[in-house]
Amino acid sequence: MKLGLVIDLDTCVGCHACAVACKQWNASGTTGPLSDTDPYGAEPSGVWFNRIRNYEVDTHPDSKTVNVPMSCMHCEEAACVTVCPTGASWKREDGIVLVDQSKCMGCNLCAWACPYGARELDEESGVMKKCTLCVDRIDDQSLPESQRQPACVLTCPTSARLFGDFDDPDSEVSRAVAERGGVAQMPELGYAPVNRYLPPRDKPQVEVSDDTRAEAQSTGGAAGLIGKWMKRQRDAFDRLGSRDGGDA
Amino acid sequence: MAARPQFENHDQQEVKSTTCYMCACRCGIDVTLEGGEIRFIQGNPDHPVNKGVLCAKGNAGIMKQKSPAKLRQPMIRKAGTERGAGEFEPISWEDALELLTGRLRKIRATDPKRLAFFTGRDQMQALTGLWATQFGTINWAAHGGFCSVNMAAGGLYTTGQSFWEFGDPDWDHAKYFMMWGVAEDHASNPIKIGLEKLKSRGAKFVAINPVRTGYQAIADEWVGIRPGTDGLLALAFVHVLLKTENFDWDYLIRYTNSSQLVIDAPGTSSHGLMLRDEAGEILTHDMESDALVAWDAATRSDTARPSLFGEFESADGVRVKTVMTLVAEKYLSDDYAPAAVAERCGVEAVTIERLALEMAEVAFKESITIETPWTDWTGRRHERFIGRPVAMHAMRGVSAHSNGFQSCRAIHLVQMLLGAVDAPGSHLAKPPYPKHIAPPIKPAREMAPNTPLKSPPLGFPMGPEDLAIDADGKPLRIDKAYSWEAPIAAHGLMHMVITNAVNADPYEIDTLILFMANMGWNSSMNTGEVQEMLRMKDEHGDYRIPFIVTSDAFHSEMVNFSDLVLPDTTYLERFDTISMLDRPISEPHAACDAIRQPIVDIDRDVRSWQEVLIDIGTRLGFPALVKEDGSAKFTGYQDFITRWEKAPGIGFLAGWRGEDGESHMRGAPNTDQWQRYIDNGCFFEHKLPPEQRYYRFANRDYLAWAKSVGFNAEDGPIVMEIYSETLQKFRLAGQGIYDGPCPTDPEDRQRLIDHFDPLPDWYVPLEEQQVDNSTYRFHAVNQRPMFMYHSWDSQNAWLRQIMTKNYLYMNRARGVSMGIPDLSWVWVESHHGKIRCQIKLMEGCNPDTVWTWNAIGKQKGTWGLSKDAPESNEGFLMNHLISELLPADQGKSITNSDPVTGQAAWYDLKVAITLAAPGETGVWPVFEEVQPPPGQPTSPDVLRYHTHVAVNIERPFKDALTEGSLNSRRNQR
Amino acid sequence: MHPALSVIFFTVTAGSGYGLLILLALARPLGLLPKISPDQIVFTGIFGLVLVTAGLLSSTLHLANPKNAWRSFTRFRTSWLSREAVFAVAFYPLSLAWLITEWATGNTFMSGLLGVLSAVLAVVVFVCTAMIYASLKTIRQWHSRLVPVLFVLLALVVGALLLMAMAAINDLPLGRLGMVTLVLVILAAVFKAMYFVNIGKPAGPTINSALNFTQASVRLLDVGHSGGTFHTREFGHQVARARLYWARILFFVLLCALPLLVLLLVFTSSSTTLFWVVLAAVSAYAGVFVERWLFFAEARHVVNLYHGAQQT
Ligand SMILES: Nc1nc2c(c(=O)[nH]1)N[C@H]1C(S)=C(S)[C@@H](COP(=O)(O)OP(=O)(O)OC[C@H]3O[C@@H](n4cnc5c(=O)[nH]c(N)nc54)[C@H](O)[C@@H]3O)O[C@H]1N2
Ligand SMILES: Nc1nc2c(c(=O)[nH]1)N[C@H]1C(S)=C(S)[C@@H](COP(=O)(O)OP(=O)(O)OC[C@H]3O[C@@H](n4cnc5c(=O)[nH]c(N)nc54)[C@H](O)[C@@H]3O)O[C@H]1N2
Ligand code: SF4
Ligand code: SF4
Ligand code: SF4
Ligand code: SF4
Ligand code: SF4
Ligand SMILES: [Mo]
Repeated sequence: MKLGLVIDLDTCVGCHACAVACKQWNASGTTGPLSDTDPYGAEPSGVWFNRIRNYEVDTHPDSKTVNVPMSCMHCEEAACVTVCPTGASWKREDGIVLVDQSKCMGCNLCAWACPYGARELDEESGVMKKCTLCVDRIDDQSLPESQRQPACVLTCPTSARLFGDFDDPDSEVSRAVAERGGVAQMPELGYAPVNRYLPPRDKPQVEVSDDTRAEAQSTGGAAGLIGKWMKRQRDAFDRLGSRDGGDA
Repeated sequence: MAARPQFENHDQQEVKSTTCYMCACRCGIDVTLEGGEIRFIQGNPDHPVNKGVLCAKGNAGIMKQKSPAKLRQPMIRKAGTERGAGEFEPISWEDALELLTGRLRKIRATDPKRLAFFTGRDQMQALTGLWATQFGTINWAAHGGFCSVNMAAGGLYTTGQSFWEFGDPDWDHAKYFMMWGVAEDHASNPIKIGLEKLKSRGAKFVAINPVRTGYQAIADEWVGIRPGTDGLLALAFVHVLLKTENFDWDYLIRYTNSSQLVIDAPGTSSHGLMLRDEAGEILTHDMESDALVAWDAATRSDTARPSLFGEFESADGVRVKTVMTLVAEKYLSDDYAPAAVAERCGVEAVTIERLALEMAEVAFKESITIETPWTDWTGRRHERFIGRPVAMHAMRGVSAHSNGFQSCRAIHLVQMLLGAVDAPGSHLAKPPYPKHIAPPIKPAREMAPNTPLKSPPLGFPMGPEDLAIDADGKPLRIDKAYSWEAPIAAHGLMHMVITNAVNADPYEIDTLILFMANMGWNSSMNTGEVQEMLRMKDEHGDYRIPFIVTSDAFHSEMVNFSDLVLPDTTYLERFDTISMLDRPISEPHAACDAIRQPIVDIDRDVRSWQEVLIDIGTRLGFPALVKEDGSAKFTGYQDFITRWEKAPGIGFLAGWRGEDGESHMRGAPNTDQWQRYIDNGCFFEHKLPPEQRYYRFANRDYLAWAKSVGFNAEDGPIVMEIYSETLQKFRLAGQGIYDGPCPTDPEDRQRLIDHFDPLPDWYVPLEEQQVDNSTYRFHAVNQRPMFMYHSWDSQNAWLRQIMTKNYLYMNRARGVSMGIPDLSWVWVESHHGKIRCQIKLMEGCNPDTVWTWNAIGKQKGTWGLSKDAPESNEGFLMNHLISELLPADQGKSITNSDPVTGQAAWYDLKVAITLAAPGETGVWPVFEEVQPPPGQPTSPDVLRYHTHVAVNIERPFKDALTEGSLNSRRNQR
Repeated sequence: MHPALSVIFFTVTAGSGYGLLILLALARPLGLLPKISPDQIVFTGIFGLVLVTAGLLSSTLHLANPKNAWRSFTRFRTSWLSREAVFAVAFYPLSLAWLITEWATGNTFMSGLLGVLSAVLAVVVFVCTAMIYASLKTIRQWHSRLVPVLFVLLALVVGALLLMAMAAINDLPLGRLGMVTLVLVILAAVFKAMYFVNIGKPAGPTINSALNFTQASVRLLDVGHSGGTFHTREFGHQVARARLYWARILFFVLLCALPLLVLLLVFTSSSTTLFWVVLAAVSAYAGVFVERWLFFAEARHVVNLYHGAQQT
């Protein structure tokens, strides 16, 4: 198994719903609480597993705005795991990279090793925390099947987030990646991140036919055109009882 | 795989459903509770609005419930202290209500209009409106006047349905979607769900917006329009569509007034009115008989063939033209040619032409059909619904301008030419819409002591005779709605209440009740001076507004300026109805309403405003609430909702009516109704049968049903009005030749002449007309951040981590050319005032536009925030720059609003931008610090919210000791 | 990267200790200080161990949860930090055995052997320390073969100067120590210069490659949080270019220029002047401190790309 997320950059509107859902679920989740310091003060700051950033590609007027959510990529070559001296960081058989909260000594080394900014130290708890892929949802057999999904995936209003097994070629995630050419971020670093990003789709084009484009021919400007339409309206519109907007 | 731990003890958890109110979208939520605390709030997958998803705000409900800014008890301004000083002392509910009812009783017995009751972002206008009606004051309105009445009225006076919350694009079928000036809107989750549907189907999504963020980010084409010019752009589309003969003859003739006849008699009182027969029927020209016949009868006849174009003369010699002829005459003019409008709109002519043609191509060459037979209002059977799959949605980018009403009509005109209103793939109404044009409710005018109004305070004027003015033409309402200043102010002008009351213009009031509206801050234009006005005294040393009552749930800026504060519950603590009599949560194919139920226990001395209204109304003896003997008819809010009927069988909640709970939409009261809602996830959904889902303005079955359930008063067709006779009546009044009331003030007359074109029109926004545009070069607009709701989410410990301060965004190249570096501090000056804030340069911004996020700035000390919170030191409001009055020195102060509807023209703002001097940093102005109310807990330094001790997943020690590289593990798999 | 004082102090101080111990162990075999007495070895060795221990203790200060520090022995198989911990602990019995043997038996084969073994282990420990940084692909300024070389070289420079100071205190004649120190200082300067040149070359991912938008410019519009986060605090640290520039100069002055002058003094005057040598040692220590501060301050974690940096 190779569990992970697919994120669709073509539909993500950058609404932060997934980020807050993640915060909400995980506050009382397996690595909770996610402490917040100075919550009502000058420098509110807390632990989040998922953060959304907006970028602008290219310059006005051709610029595009791209919203990029980022959470743990559950890398196959997760250096965050190999650098961890205590064994707190580990990768399960299903690919989920986790931090065993009881073993971590809070040295930050794993966060240094992570290229994607996926790990955040909970300064109040003294331990490293990160996206668990909502293991406490997907593993919870007492939840109905439809609910065994990460909180961020369930909540995303644009369905820009998919969860599944990348090892299974028929899974929703594998199919989406194949169809849409999903890409990994910074593969050159060799972490083999599992999460994939679907690039913006090619823009749909509307080909305007010559018929649609053709300007009405008339002389005499507006009055001429109206005159022409007056003459033509018998052909343009049949009796009210006919055709009936529906029966061809 | 090792055994998994049990993460949650579900036996100790309970899931309750209710309706979210972190914003007005009203999604269904399932709340998991554990030990009385909220474990998790998630979307209700069965709910018609959000279908299981939730936005950022909805996901942060826990922190709203945890807000330290929650009000805790009723409070009264300390005797001897000044209003605005924020010195309160607790008062018991009984004393507070006695005090208030005592005052109200006197007002009601003498001059009821001395009570003004205005409500903000609420969703219970049916209840508050009923309350005001029973009290007998016409000085009631909700927030629509400063929000989006231009869209509501623009639609209701044109297509009978509208943007805003009253309709949705047909996300399932549209192939082309054009979004005008929308950052988030009320259909927060539905729009997002819909956009994904469009994109996955490969439909084209065009965004017209000066700024490219949010929805516009994922648009296939971004049109970075210059603010205030959408109407012009739409009319240029109309020009192209006409020029290329791309309009739907059939649709126009059948469903719009385009073939109706307009009198052409300039200078007479009938000029521009519809030609009618003796019976009052509007006439059309029938080609078959070459006669002028009643339009309604003609459309019912199988043989008639109404002329779409033509000039005719009636038997008694009146010259007439069809509406469509007027349309062609007006918009074929070169004034509307793409090349003529391109520069003004900031959109290239070729782009304008291409967009128009693309829409025509999709509408007419890629039409779709839904193979469901249906019957139109004449009884004709149609085998299928024909769809023009071009959908639109527009909101405050269009509505928050003083030309918004006409611009909105211009967009509707494009839709109508394309045959794309309520057709498959286009814009669909949500029940109870569409409604007849205009809905047959006239604004109330007459008031008498101790007497309910005969009709609700707000309605839809059909001409000058319906205005709420006295014999001298003076406004009857405190907000001057339905006066010559804002004749079709269908939602009132909440933004003018404080200014008008303080100036005793048109008269003084005694008590102002504000519910859920932060009028002391982000919801007022000219915030600084409004705060002064709230404190202003007359020559006797009495406050100009003698008594201010605020119902709020939190310590907002407005609370500080109140004399009596009645603390409300939070949305998770109360019973509530989201009624079809009100702002619907319906979906296009389903009529829906919903309730809220208490999810958590109340831990403060607070009461829901719903209960308080019923209580006060009962104490005051409102006929609807008390029996003959003066005793209460209802035991409380829930009982009232269950048993009160608007008309026989019609009440606040439509589901599970009838004694057995089996009648829906209409039926006798059911005492078990609340429980039935709760059992159903707190919402009710009546799905329309397939044959009632489109063309509802002309769909016999739908119209009959809509009448039977009380949506519409009649079941005749709803004829869309390309040409508005109502507007023409006002224009005639402006010319002084209307057969009825006419204004005398030349200003008033000119305003009617200039802005009440019966055909969709465009004019330069009023502020832009009046200021020096070479000084005030930039348009300044706002956007709502998707993760915050107006002022009320800065108290949310999670949401505010996303944004505690805002920048003024500017086009990068423009900034560079002006020597304004990124992140520099600048002065922003309007004709009215100035502020200092920080610039952020960006690409996706119209070069003539600057913008910022709405309502991030806060007054120091409010909302439970520390005084060094960035919200009050680095966040700013644009409101300080916006005047509620127009700049021109006309002797008379004219509201900075749409001259038709009175919609606040927030986005007309023009500003000058200059670099601040070195060392001038930080936002300016900074307002004085507000004291926390008595009993407000100190905000915690650290939050570690959780509802149970986390169940850690232990990595086996042996594994930790012996596991080799990651590869080796993978190879084992 | 945020330069955490405790970590800088740790690597500089422990490094100095290891450097001193390495050269001390080799003082006789390589003829650095041919006349050094067993007592002097033991005394200096203890001083070295104190430095190492002070450093190691300081390193635990940056742990958010030190009670689990013992667990850092468990992941020897993959973690350089774990290896460092294991070797650092193993170093104590070995080095103590060496010093005790030296104390008890004086200059014997056994003490010499234990000394050399200790020196080798000290190198190993400190290479592990260096590898903690050098193994991180996320920070290109660290992900360099020069890093372990420099860590060891700089440790040896300070160690050598400390040893010289010891010699000066005890009026020991300098064998090859002066020359070796000179070579070490020059090597350190050369390698560090190479390092500066290397990290100055543009390399590694850019904001474009990080986001897979390589056809046009990419700029951050909003980072998604107004205030700071763990990441901005840990990785976002930015030092003004001018300060970095002066810090580099300061490094060369403290670590190379001053010690070289002193060495010149030492070579030209026949007797070693205690004051100058101690000054050189302190200067070198400070130089390494500056170097280590720079090592952090100049390191740009790739995650900064997502926060708006155009390149690392
Ligand atoms: N998250 C969140 N959701 C909300 C609210 C909230 O506060 N937060 N508020 C609710 C309320 S009360 C309302 S009224 C709705 C409003 O919802 P929206 O209509 O989405 O309101 P705004 O955020 O004002 O967005 C206006 C958009 O129009 C653009 N714009 C400005 N001027 C022009 C113009 O002249 N032409 C065009 N084409 N575009 C222009 C702006 O750039 C902006 O993108 O949202 C509701 N939903
Ligand atoms: N510059 C600028 N100004 C604007 C706009 C803009 O685009 N630009 N938009 C305008 C628009 S469209 C609107 S709708 C207004 C927003 O209009 P408002 O309705 O004034 O906005 P809010 O800030 O949401 O304030 C509502 C008040 O309700 C309180 N409240 C929240 N929950 C409850 C509750 O459960 N019960 C009670 N009783 N009170 C509660 C809050 O604490 C807050 O004080 O802002 C307007 N102001
Ligand atoms: S919830 Fe979905 S649309 Fe919103 S930011 Fe997350 S991924 Fe993007
Ligand atoms: S994204 Fe970072 S934390 Fe997650 S597995 Fe990869 S390296 Fe580790
Ligand atoms: S912080 Fe914790 S999980 Fe990360 S490397 Fe250190 S011990 Fe391991
Ligand atoms: S999978 Fe779960 S933990 Fe990971 S980002 Fe999504 S919600 Fe957060
Ligand atoms: S859009 Fe968000 S805040 Fe608004 S009702 Fe829905 S979930 Fe709640
Ligand atoms: Mo609004």
